[in-house]
Amino acid sequence: MNKKKIVLAEDNSTLSLLLKFRLEKEGYELHMAEDGKKAIELIEQEHPELILTDIMMPFVSGLEVISHVRNTLDLKTPIIVFSAAGQEEMVLKAFNLGANDFMGKPFSPNELVIRVKRLLA
Amino acid sequence: MIDFQYIFEYFNGAPLIIQIIWMVSCVLFVTAVVLIIYLKVFRSHLRKNEKIVKTFQKKYEELLITYLYAGVEDEEISSEQQSIINKLKSEIKNEFKREIVITTLLKLRNEISGEMADAIQELYCQVGLLDYSLIKLRSSSWYIIAMGIRELTQFNIEKANKQVVKYANHSKSEVRKEVQLYLINLFHFKGLDFLDDLKVSLSEWDQIQLLEVLQRSKDQEICNIIPWLKSENDSVVIFALKLAEIYNLFETKEVLLELISHKSENVRINLMRVLNHLSIFEAKEGIKRNFNKRNKEEQIAFFQLLENLYDTNDEDFILKQIYNKNFEIKFEALKILKLFHNEQFNNLKLTPPESEFVKIAKFLQNN
Repeated sequence: MNKKKIVLAEDNSTLSLLLKFRLEKEGYELHMAEDGKKAIELIEQEHPELILTDIMMPFVSGLEVISHVRNTLDLKTPIIVFSAAGQEEMVLKAFNLGANDFMGKPFSPNELVIRVKRLLA
Repeated sequence: MIDFQYIFEYFNGAPLIIQIIWMVSCVLFVTAVVLIIYLKVFRSHLRKNEKIVKTFQKKYEELLITYLYAGVEDEEISSEQQSIINKLKSEIKNEFKREIVITTLLKLRNEISGEMADAIQELYCQVGLLDYSLIKLRSSSWYIIAMGIRELTQFNIEKANKQVVKYANHSKSEVRKEVQLYLINLFHFKGLDFLDDLKVSLSEWDQIQLLEVLQRSKDQEICNIIPWLKSENDSVVIFALKLAEIYNLFETKEVLLELISHKSENVRINLMRVLNHLSIFEAKEGIKRNFNKRNKEEQIAFFQLLENLYDTNDEDFILKQIYNKNFEIKFEALKILKLFHNEQFNNLKLTPPESEFVKIAKFLQNN
Protein backbone atom coordinates (compact mmCIF):
# COMPACT_ATOMS: atom_id res chain seq x y z
CA MET A 1 0.00 0.00 0.00
CA ASN A 2 1.30 3.45 -0.95
CA LYS A 3 1.98 5.70 1.99
CA LYS A 4 0.34 9.13 1.92
CA LYS A 5 2.91 11.89 1.47
CA ILE A 6 3.13 14.90 3.75
CA VAL A 7 5.43 17.91 3.28
CA LEU A 8 6.41 19.55 6.56
CA ALA A 9 7.85 23.08 6.36
CA GLU A 10 9.27 24.03 9.76
CA ASP A 11 12.48 25.86 10.67
CA ASN A 12 12.69 24.36 14.16
CA SER A 13 14.71 21.20 13.50
CA THR A 14 13.80 19.55 16.83
CA LEU A 15 10.08 20.02 16.28
CA SER A 16 10.42 18.75 12.69
CA LEU A 17 12.19 15.63 13.89
CA LEU A 18 9.55 14.98 16.55
CA LEU A 19 6.68 15.36 14.07
CA LYS A 20 8.48 13.21 11.51
CA PHE A 21 8.85 10.46 14.08
CA ARG A 22 5.22 10.75 15.17
CA LEU A 23 3.64 10.92 11.72
CA GLU A 24 5.83 8.15 10.27
CA LYS A 25 4.67 5.99 13.16
CA GLU A 26 1.11 6.64 11.95
CA GLY A 27 2.05 5.38 8.49
CA TYR A 28 2.70 8.61 6.58
CA GLU A 29 5.70 9.45 4.42
CA LEU A 30 7.27 12.68 5.63
CA HIS A 31 9.30 15.15 3.54
CA MET A 32 10.89 17.89 5.58
CA ALA A 33 11.84 21.43 4.54
CA GLU A 34 13.64 23.86 6.83
CA ASP A 35 12.39 26.97 4.96
CA GLY A 36 9.65 28.03 2.58
CA LYS A 37 11.88 27.89 -0.50
CA LYS A 38 12.72 24.23 0.05
CA ALA A 39 9.07 23.51 0.88
CA ILE A 40 7.96 24.83 -2.53
CA GLU A 41 10.60 22.68 -4.25
CA LEU A 42 9.44 19.59 -2.33
CA ILE A 43 5.76 20.26 -3.05
CA GLU A 44 6.46 20.57 -6.78
CA GLN A 45 8.63 17.46 -6.72
CA GLU A 46 6.64 15.14 -4.43
CA HIS A 47 2.99 16.23 -4.99
CA PRO A 48 2.02 15.54 -1.35
CA GLU A 49 -1.48 14.73 -0.09
CA LEU A 50 -1.07 17.21 2.81
CA ILE A 51 1.09 20.24 3.63
CA LEU A 52 2.05 21.29 7.16
CA THR A 53 3.69 24.71 7.30
CA ASP A 54 4.87 27.16 9.89
CA ILE A 55 3.99 30.81 9.18
CA MET A 56 7.30 32.44 10.06
CA MET A 57 10.18 30.87 8.15
CA PRO A 58 13.40 32.14 6.57
CA PHE A 59 13.56 33.16 2.86
CA VAL A 60 9.94 32.35 1.95
CA SER A 61 7.17 32.57 4.58
CA GLY A 62 4.36 30.07 5.15
CA LEU A 63 1.90 32.57 3.64
CA GLU A 64 3.92 32.63 0.41
CA VAL A 65 3.98 28.82 0.38
CA ILE A 66 0.15 28.74 0.65
CA SER A 67 -0.19 31.40 -2.04
CA HIS A 68 2.17 29.46 -4.34
CA VAL A 69 0.23 26.21 -3.83
CA ARG A 70 -3.20 27.79 -4.37
CA ASN A 71 -2.43 30.42 -7.03
CA THR A 72 0.65 29.30 -8.99
CA LEU A 73 0.33 25.51 -8.80
CA ASP A 74 -3.49 25.70 -8.56
CA LEU A 75 -3.59 22.71 -6.15
CA LYS A 76 -6.35 21.85 -3.69
CA THR A 77 -3.96 19.99 -1.32
CA PRO A 78 -5.10 20.48 2.31
CA ILE A 79 -2.84 22.82 4.28
CA ILE A 80 -2.45 23.09 8.05
CA VAL A 81 -0.57 26.16 9.33
CA PHE A 82 1.31 26.49 12.61
CA SER A 83 1.31 29.87 14.28
CA ALA A 84 2.82 31.33 17.42
CA ALA A 85 0.86 33.40 19.95
CA GLY A 86 0.17 36.91 18.67
CA GLN A 87 0.06 35.92 14.99
CA GLU A 88 -3.75 36.03 14.74
CA GLU A 89 -3.66 38.39 11.77
CA MET A 90 -1.27 36.09 9.93
CA VAL A 91 -3.64 33.17 10.56
CA LEU A 92 -6.52 35.13 9.05
CA LYS A 93 -4.35 35.92 6.03
CA ALA A 94 -3.46 32.22 5.77
CA PHE A 95 -7.16 31.28 5.74
CA ASN A 96 -7.87 33.96 3.13
CA LEU A 97 -5.12 32.48 0.98
CA GLY A 98 -6.64 29.02 1.24
CA ALA A 99 -5.31 27.26 4.36
CA ASN A 100 -7.66 24.54 5.68
CA ASP A 101 -6.76 24.44 9.36
CA PHE A 102 -4.38 25.98 11.90
CA MET A 103 -2.69 25.05 15.15
CA GLY A 104 -1.36 27.60 17.64
CA LYS A 105 2.01 26.88 19.20
CA PRO A 106 2.64 25.30 21.63
CA PHE A 107 0.50 22.42 20.37
CA SER A 108 0.08 18.78 21.21
CA PRO A 109 1.53 16.38 18.61
CA ASN A 110 -1.35 13.98 19.38
CA GLU A 111 -3.87 16.66 18.44
CA LEU A 112 -1.97 17.29 15.20
CA VAL A 113 -2.21 13.59 14.32
CA ILE A 114 -6.00 13.73 14.83
CA ARG A 115 -6.30 16.73 12.51
CA VAL A 116 -4.04 15.15 9.89
CA LYS A 117 -6.12 11.97 9.94
CA ARG A 118 -9.34 13.98 9.60
CA LEU A 119 -8.05 15.88 6.58
CA LEU A 120 -6.65 12.77 4.89
CA ALA A 121 -9.65 10.55 5.60
CA MET B 1 69.53 46.06 -1.48
CA ILE B 2 69.89 49.04 -3.80
CA ASP B 3 66.12 49.53 -3.74
CA PHE B 4 66.07 49.65 0.06
CA GLN B 5 68.96 52.13 0.05
CA TYR B 6 67.09 54.29 -2.46
CA ILE B 7 63.93 54.23 -0.30
CA PHE B 8 65.97 55.03 2.81
CA GLU B 9 67.70 57.97 1.10
CA TYR B 10 64.42 59.24 -0.33
CA PHE B 11 62.84 59.09 3.15
CA ASN B 12 65.74 60.93 4.81
CA GLY B 13 65.80 63.59 2.14
CA ALA B 14 62.06 64.21 2.19
CA PRO B 15 60.54 67.16 4.14
CA LEU B 16 59.30 66.43 7.69
CA ILE B 17 55.60 66.51 6.72
CA ILE B 18 56.17 63.90 4.00
CA GLN B 19 58.09 61.72 6.49
CA ILE B 20 55.16 61.96 8.97
CA ILE B 21 52.62 61.09 6.24
CA TRP B 22 54.69 58.05 5.26
CA MET B 23 54.96 56.88 8.85
CA VAL B 24 51.22 57.30 9.50
CA SER B 25 50.45 55.46 6.24
CA CYS B 26 52.72 52.58 7.25
CA VAL B 27 51.13 52.34 10.72
CA LEU B 28 47.61 52.38 9.21
CA PHE B 29 48.58 49.75 6.64
CA VAL B 30 50.01 47.42 9.29
CA THR B 31 46.92 47.96 11.51
CA ALA B 32 44.60 47.17 8.59
CA VAL B 33 46.52 43.98 7.76
CA VAL B 34 46.48 42.86 11.41
CA LEU B 35 42.73 43.57 11.66
CA ILE B 36 41.95 41.69 8.44
CA ILE B 37 43.92 38.67 9.67
CA TYR B 38 42.24 38.87 13.07
CA LEU B 39 38.76 39.07 11.49
CA LYS B 40 39.52 36.13 9.23
CA VAL B 41 40.73 34.00 12.15
CA PHE B 42 37.79 35.13 14.30
CA ARG B 43 35.26 34.37 11.56
CA SER B 44 36.69 30.93 10.86
CA HIS B 45 36.66 30.25 14.63
CA LEU B 46 32.97 31.25 14.81
CA ARG B 47 32.10 29.07 11.81
CA LYS B 48 33.98 26.14 13.30
CA ASN B 49 32.17 26.68 16.56
CA GLU B 50 28.84 26.88 14.76
CA LYS B 51 29.56 23.58 13.04
CA ILE B 52 30.42 21.93 16.36
CA VAL B 53 27.24 23.32 17.93
CA LYS B 54 25.16 22.00 15.01
CA THR B 55 26.73 18.55 15.29
CA PHE B 56 26.03 18.34 19.02
CA GLN B 57 22.57 19.80 18.57
CA LYS B 58 21.72 17.12 16.01
CA LYS B 59 23.03 14.44 18.35
CA TYR B 60 21.00 15.74 21.30
CA GLU B 61 17.89 16.24 19.17
CA GLU B 62 17.97 12.58 18.20
CA LEU B 63 18.55 11.52 21.81
CA LEU B 64 15.66 13.70 22.95
CA ILE B 65 13.20 12.39 20.36
CA THR B 66 14.25 8.80 21.10
CA TYR B 67 13.75 9.48 24.81
CA LEU B 68 10.26 10.89 24.21
CA TYR B 69 9.15 7.88 22.19
CA ALA B 70 10.94 5.25 24.24
CA GLY B 71 8.45 5.29 27.10
CA VAL B 72 6.79 2.04 28.11
CA GLU B 73 3.28 2.26 29.52
CA ASP B 74 3.79 0.13 32.64
CA GLU B 75 7.16 1.62 33.58
CA GLU B 76 7.88 5.13 34.74
CA ILE B 77 11.22 5.21 32.93
CA SER B 78 12.12 2.49 30.44
CA SER B 79 15.63 1.02 30.21
CA GLU B 80 16.21 2.87 26.91
CA GLN B 81 15.18 6.14 28.51
CA GLN B 82 17.47 5.44 31.49
CA SER B 83 20.43 4.87 29.18
CA ILE B 84 19.71 8.23 27.44
CA ILE B 85 19.51 9.93 30.83
CA ASN B 86 22.88 8.44 31.81
CA LYS B 87 24.42 9.53 28.51
CA LEU B 88 23.15 13.08 28.91
CA LYS B 89 24.28 13.16 32.54
CA SER B 90 27.87 12.60 31.48
CA GLU B 91 27.60 15.04 28.55
CA ILE B 92 26.37 17.97 30.65
CA LYS B 93 29.43 17.87 32.86
CA ASN B 94 30.99 20.00 30.13
CA GLU B 95 29.58 23.55 30.27
CA PHE B 96 29.65 24.04 26.50
CA LYS B 97 27.68 20.84 25.89
CA ARG B 98 25.36 21.63 28.78
CA GLU B 99 24.27 24.88 27.14
CA ILE B 100 23.54 23.02 23.88
CA VAL B 101 21.47 20.41 25.73
CA ILE B 102 19.45 23.19 27.43
CA THR B 103 18.90 24.98 24.08
CA THR B 104 17.76 21.73 22.46
CA LEU B 105 15.31 20.95 25.25
CA LEU B 106 13.93 24.49 25.17
CA LYS B 107 13.61 24.51 21.39
CA LEU B 108 11.06 21.75 21.70
CA ARG B 109 9.61 22.66 25.10
CA ASN B 110 8.45 26.06 23.77
CA GLU B 111 6.70 24.58 20.74
CA ILE B 112 4.74 21.66 22.16
CA SER B 113 2.26 21.11 24.96
CA GLY B 114 0.74 18.16 26.76
CA GLU B 115 2.44 14.97 27.91
CA MET B 116 5.56 15.51 25.84
CA ALA B 117 6.20 18.96 27.29
CA ASP B 118 5.90 17.39 30.76
CA ALA B 119 8.30 14.63 29.72
CA ILE B 120 10.90 17.24 28.64
CA GLN B 121 10.55 18.95 32.00
CA GLU B 122 11.01 15.60 33.70
CA LEU B 123 14.12 14.94 31.62
CA TYR B 124 15.54 18.33 32.66
CA CYS B 125 15.28 17.24 36.29
CA GLN B 126 16.39 13.64 35.70
CA VAL B 127 19.66 14.51 33.94
CA GLY B 128 20.59 16.97 36.67
CA LEU B 129 20.19 20.22 34.74
CA LEU B 130 17.96 21.48 37.53
CA ASP B 131 20.87 21.17 39.98
CA TYR B 132 23.08 23.22 37.64
CA SER B 133 20.39 25.92 37.45
CA LEU B 134 20.12 25.99 41.24
CA ILE B 135 23.92 26.26 41.53
CA LYS B 136 23.72 29.32 39.27
CA LEU B 137 21.49 31.00 41.86
CA ARG B 138 24.39 30.90 44.32
CA SER B 139 26.77 32.66 41.94
CA SER B 140 28.32 35.99 42.79
CA SER B 141 27.69 37.32 39.25
CA TRP B 142 24.27 38.85 38.76
CA TYR B 143 23.93 37.70 35.15
CA ILE B 144 24.52 34.04 36.10
CA ILE B 145 21.82 34.34 38.77
CA ALA B 146 19.48 35.89 36.17
CA MET B 147 20.27 33.07 33.72
CA GLY B 148 19.58 30.43 36.39
CA ILE B 149 16.20 31.96 37.25
CA ARG B 150 15.29 32.19 33.56
CA GLU B 151 16.02 28.47 33.10
CA LEU B 152 13.81 27.64 36.08
CA THR B 153 11.03 29.74 34.52
CA GLN B 154 11.38 28.12 31.10
CA PHE B 155 11.18 24.63 32.59
CA ASN B 156 8.35 25.52 35.03
CA ILE B 157 10.24 24.49 38.16
CA GLU B 158 7.78 25.49 40.87
CA LYS B 159 9.70 23.91 43.73
CA ALA B 160 12.51 26.49 43.41
CA ASN B 161 10.09 29.20 44.57
CA LYS B 162 11.80 29.84 47.93
CA GLN B 163 15.29 30.09 46.43
CA VAL B 164 14.12 32.47 43.68
CA VAL B 165 11.96 34.80 45.74
CA LYS B 166 15.03 35.69 47.87
CA TYR B 167 16.25 37.80 44.95
CA ALA B 168 13.06 39.91 44.63
CA ASN B 169 14.92 42.93 46.03
CA HIS B 170 18.26 42.29 44.26
CA SER B 171 20.26 45.40 43.43
CA LYS B 172 20.29 44.55 39.68
CA SER B 173 17.04 45.22 37.82
CA GLU B 174 17.76 42.33 35.40
CA VAL B 175 17.72 39.83 38.28
CA ARG B 176 14.56 41.38 39.75
CA LYS B 177 12.85 41.19 36.36
CA GLU B 178 13.68 37.46 36.05
CA VAL B 179 12.35 36.83 39.58
CA GLN B 180 9.10 38.63 38.77
CA LEU B 181 8.65 36.75 35.48
CA TYR B 182 9.35 33.45 37.25
CA LEU B 183 6.69 34.12 39.87
CA ILE B 184 4.05 35.40 37.45
CA ASN B 185 4.60 32.75 34.79
CA LEU B 186 4.46 29.91 37.28
CA PHE B 187 2.05 31.11 39.95
CA HIS B 188 0.04 33.76 38.06
CA PHE B 189 -1.81 36.13 40.44
CA LYS B 190 -0.57 34.23 43.49
CA GLY B 191 2.96 35.06 42.32
CA LEU B 192 2.24 38.75 42.92
CA ASP B 193 2.79 38.19 46.64
CA PHE B 194 6.35 39.43 46.12
CA LEU B 195 4.83 42.94 45.97
CA ASP B 196 4.17 42.72 49.75
CA ASP B 197 7.88 43.02 50.48
CA LEU B 198 9.12 44.90 47.42
CA LYS B 199 11.49 47.61 48.60
CA VAL B 200 12.71 48.81 45.20
CA SER B 201 10.79 50.54 42.45
CA LEU B 202 8.81 48.51 39.91
CA SER B 203 9.68 50.17 36.61
CA GLU B 204 7.08 51.01 33.97
CA TRP B 205 8.57 48.36 31.68
CA ASP B 206 8.42 45.71 34.46
CA GLN B 207 4.78 46.59 35.04
CA ILE B 208 3.92 46.24 31.34
CA GLN B 209 5.64 42.84 31.19
CA LEU B 210 3.86 41.58 34.31
CA LEU B 211 0.46 42.73 33.07
CA GLU B 212 1.05 41.09 29.71
CA VAL B 213 1.96 37.74 31.29
CA LEU B 214 -1.01 37.97 33.66
CA GLN B 215 -3.41 38.65 30.80
CA ARG B 216 -2.11 35.63 28.90
CA SER B 217 -2.57 33.42 31.95
CA LYS B 218 -5.43 30.90 31.94
CA ASP B 219 -6.02 31.49 35.65
CA GLN B 220 -7.81 34.84 35.81
CA GLU B 221 -8.83 34.62 39.47
CA ILE B 222 -7.43 37.86 40.83
CA CYS B 223 -6.33 38.12 44.43
CA ASN B 224 -6.93 40.91 46.94
CA ILE B 225 -5.04 44.01 45.76
CA ILE B 226 -6.02 46.28 48.66
CA PRO B 227 -2.74 45.76 50.61
CA TRP B 228 -0.82 46.90 47.51
CA LEU B 229 -3.02 49.98 47.12
CA LYS B 230 -1.93 50.83 50.66
CA SER B 231 1.73 50.01 50.05
CA GLU B 232 4.53 52.35 51.09
CA ASN B 233 6.14 51.71 47.70
CA ASP B 234 4.58 54.16 45.20
CA SER B 235 5.37 51.97 42.20
CA VAL B 236 3.46 49.10 43.83
CA VAL B 237 0.45 51.40 44.36
CA ILE B 238 0.58 52.47 40.68
CA PHE B 239 0.78 48.83 39.58
CA ALA B 240 -2.19 47.95 41.81
CA LEU B 241 -4.11 50.87 40.25
CA LYS B 242 -3.46 49.36 36.82
CA LEU B 243 -4.78 46.01 38.06
CA ALA B 244 -7.90 47.72 39.43
CA GLU B 245 -8.45 49.35 36.03
CA ILE B 246 -7.80 46.29 33.85
CA TYR B 247 -9.80 43.88 36.00
CA ASN B 248 -12.58 46.37 36.90
CA LEU B 249 -12.10 45.94 40.66
CA PHE B 250 -15.06 48.02 41.94
CA GLU B 251 -14.66 46.48 45.39
CA THR B 252 -11.54 48.61 45.89
CA LYS B 253 -13.63 51.81 45.73
CA GLU B 254 -13.18 52.83 49.40
CA VAL B 255 -9.39 52.50 49.23
CA LEU B 256 -9.31 54.36 45.92
CA LEU B 257 -11.19 57.25 47.51
CA GLU B 258 -8.59 57.37 50.30
CA LEU B 259 -5.84 57.64 47.68
CA ILE B 260 -7.17 61.05 46.51
CA SER B 261 -4.93 62.63 49.13
CA HIS B 262 -1.93 60.32 48.52
CA LYS B 263 1.46 62.01 48.99
CA SER B 264 2.72 61.01 45.53
CA GLU B 265 1.67 63.17 42.61
CA ASN B 266 2.25 60.28 40.18
CA VAL B 267 -0.10 58.03 42.17
CA ARG B 268 -2.79 60.73 42.18
CA ILE B 269 -2.55 61.24 38.40
CA ASN B 270 -2.85 57.47 37.77
CA LEU B 271 -5.71 57.37 40.25
CA MET B 272 -7.73 59.89 38.17
CA ARG B 273 -7.63 57.50 35.23
CA VAL B 274 -8.87 54.60 37.38
CA LEU B 275 -11.62 56.68 39.02
CA ASN B 276 -12.73 57.70 35.56
CA HIS B 277 -12.65 54.13 34.27
CA LEU B 278 -14.61 52.76 37.23
CA SER B 279 -17.01 55.76 37.19
CA ILE B 280 -16.55 56.58 40.88
CA PHE B 281 -18.67 59.75 41.15
CA GLU B 282 -18.01 60.10 44.88
CA ALA B 283 -14.41 61.12 44.19
CA LYS B 284 -15.34 64.37 42.48
CA GLU B 285 -16.34 66.50 45.48
CA GLY B 286 -13.12 65.73 47.37
CA ILE B 287 -10.98 66.69 44.39
CA LYS B 288 -12.97 69.86 43.63
CA ARG B 289 -12.56 71.06 47.22
CA ASN B 290 -8.79 71.38 46.92
CA PHE B 291 -8.59 71.66 43.14
CA ASN B 292 -6.36 74.75 43.17
CA LYS B 293 -3.80 73.07 45.43
CA ARG B 294 -3.24 70.27 42.91
CA ASN B 295 -0.66 70.54 40.16
CA LYS B 296 -1.59 71.27 36.53
CA GLU B 297 -1.20 67.70 35.26
CA GLU B 298 -3.52 66.45 37.97
CA GLN B 299 -6.03 69.22 37.27
CA ILE B 300 -6.11 68.33 33.56
CA ALA B 301 -6.54 64.63 34.42
CA PHE B 302 -9.45 65.61 36.65
CA PHE B 303 -11.13 67.44 33.77
CA GLN B 304 -10.84 64.33 31.63
CA LEU B 305 -12.60 62.49 34.46
CA LEU B 306 -15.30 65.21 34.62
CA GLU B 307 -15.98 64.87 30.91
CA ASN B 308 -17.15 61.30 31.56
CA LEU B 309 -18.66 61.70 35.02
CA TYR B 310 -20.31 65.11 34.65
CA ASP B 311 -23.55 65.92 36.46
CA THR B 312 -25.41 69.18 37.10
CA ASN B 313 -23.66 69.68 40.47
CA ASP B 314 -20.45 70.35 38.56
CA GLU B 315 -21.86 73.29 36.59
CA ASP B 316 -20.67 76.05 38.94
CA PHE B 317 -17.22 74.52 39.14
CA ILE B 318 -16.99 74.33 35.34
CA LEU B 319 -18.17 77.91 34.90
CA LYS B 320 -15.45 79.06 37.29
CA GLN B 321 -12.76 77.13 35.44
CA ILE B 322 -13.52 78.57 31.99
CA TYR B 323 -11.61 81.64 33.23
CA ASN B 324 -8.66 79.57 34.47
CA LYS B 325 -5.26 80.96 33.41
CA ASN B 326 -4.11 77.59 32.09
CA PHE B 327 -5.03 77.12 28.43
CA GLU B 328 -5.65 73.36 28.66
CA ILE B 329 -7.92 73.66 31.69
CA LYS B 330 -9.82 76.48 30.06
CA PHE B 331 -10.14 74.39 26.90
CA GLU B 332 -11.36 71.32 28.80
CA ALA B 333 -13.86 73.40 30.79
CA LEU B 334 -15.31 74.93 27.62
CA LYS B 335 -15.45 71.51 26.00
CA ILE B 336 -17.55 70.18 28.89
CA LEU B 337 -19.73 73.26 28.80
CA LYS B 338 -20.37 72.81 25.08
CA LEU B 339 -21.18 69.14 25.61
CA PHE B 340 -23.65 69.55 28.46
CA HIS B 341 -24.81 73.21 28.36
CA ASN B 342 -24.73 74.19 24.74
CA GLU B 343 -27.04 77.19 25.26
CA GLN B 344 -24.83 78.65 27.97
CA PHE B 345 -21.81 78.01 25.78
CA ASN B 346 -23.43 79.97 22.92
CA ASN B 347 -24.29 82.85 25.27
CA LEU B 348 -20.71 83.07 26.44
CA LYS B 349 -19.57 83.27 22.85
CA LEU B 350 -21.62 86.46 22.37
CA THR B 351 -20.01 88.22 25.35
CA PRO B 352 -16.40 87.19 25.05
CA PRO B 353 -14.29 88.15 28.04
CA GLU B 354 -10.99 87.71 26.17
CA SER B 355 -9.69 86.92 22.68
CA GLU B 356 -8.26 83.49 23.59
CA PHE B 357 -11.70 82.51 24.83
CA VAL B 358 -13.22 83.32 21.42
CA LYS B 359 -10.55 81.31 19.64
CA ILE B 360 -11.23 78.21 21.78
CA ALA B 361 -14.99 78.63 21.41
CA LYS B 362 -14.66 78.87 17.64
CA PHE B 363 -12.42 75.83 17.53
CA LEU B 364 -14.88 73.82 19.63
CA GLN B 365 -17.77 75.03 17.50
CA ASN B 366 -16.09 73.79 14.35
CA ASN B 367 -14.88 70.45 15.75
